[in-house]
Amino acid sequence: MENYRRWASEPLTGPPVVSVVIPAYNEEWRIVPTIGAIASHMSSRRDTWELIVADDGSTDTTCELIRELGLVNLRLLEAEENGGKGSAVRRGMLAARGDYVLFADADQSTPIEQFDLLLEQIVGGAADVVVGSRSAEGADVAHKSPVRKIFSAGLNTIVRRGFGLDLSDTQCGFKLFTADAAHRLFHLQQIDGFSFDLEILYIAQRLGMKIAEVPVGWVDAPGSTVDAGKVALRFFTDFARIRIADARGIYRRTVPARARDSATGARTAA
Amino acid sequence: MEITIAELQATIAVAGRFDANETEAFDSFVSDLVDANQCSLAIELSQVNFIDSTALASLVTLMKRCRERGGDLVLVDPSEPLRVILELTALDQAFTVILGDGNSAAA
Repeated sequence: MENYRRWASEPLTGPPVVSVVIPAYNEEWRIVPTIGAIASHMSSRRDTWELIVADDGSTDTTCELIRELGLVNLRLLEAEENGGKGSAVRRGMLAARGDYVLFADADQSTPIEQFDLLLEQIVGGAADVVVGSRSAEGADVAHKSPVRKIFSAGLNTIVRRGFGLDLSDTQCGFKLFTADAAHRLFHLQQIDGFSFDLEILYIAQRLGMKIAEVPVGWVDAPGSTVDAGKVALRFFTDFARIRIADARGIYRRTVPARARDSATGARTAA
Repeated sequence: MEITIAELQATIAVAGRFDANETEAFDSFVSDLVDANQCSLAIELSQVNFIDSTALASLVTLMKRCRERGGDLVLVDPSEPLRVILELTALDQAFTVILGDGNSAAA
């Protein structure tokens, strides 16, 4: 508890080693326990870290609840309108200051303890992007609905054949990026909806980034805000948008240089 | 979630992830105890790594039922993630929490 209390009350004096980004849309029922679990685990590690909640125009009390927590190293990025999960994640990732940037869904479907597995794959330059996978051998998936299973299998086929991505799961809301990869990828991102994950990974591949996949534990959280039918329809539109953006050379554009805060003694080695 | 019970102590040990997928089984189990006038319960939480709002609501409901019958619900040795979650939700103020060293949490 001591490490957590220090993190909760003492502002970082420089950029952290790790940033955790949570996109949130009307998550008043789920967000506080998720923040608690993440804060407990990340504070127990020796790396400095920050938490960013990227609100997506919530109309409930999500933002109010987060503000009332009073956690000094939690930044809340509020949005006036609901722009889609992809837009919220983009704002969070581009605001992150850590050397490594994780985005994690607000429902804690993938327990935060799994972060350690992803970090092992990315330190030392072994990967630019590490993807949590619910389908890779060794993944531990519980309570996944039949609709989700069918949807995942179909998407997996499309991803492999249509986009040439050799990944078993593009949609798991648990992905870790180096700061440089996150900066470049999320500047090039065009898709604001749920298929932004696929686009990000497609761009990463097109740019020759190293992508690693790690099997993770995952528990379907009841009360998901995802409407599988609507999402499936949207995906097909987005597939075409990704292809068109690629053909127009958008993914090969130069992105602005990444502004870094000056490092201080507060940083520790990963 | 795994539930074990030490009958003489009326202690229910919960382990793993305590969330909306598990509360129906938990509620059914503890309802039988309360209906049988076992209304002083201790929930041992040292092996729970995550609790969601649904499970917290379930515990609040159970606490009220116990207190209405003259008993109480005590949370015993919550893991660190649970202690943080109880603190952030301010539910550490509502429950009697016994830490691993046997002391009550400073609510």
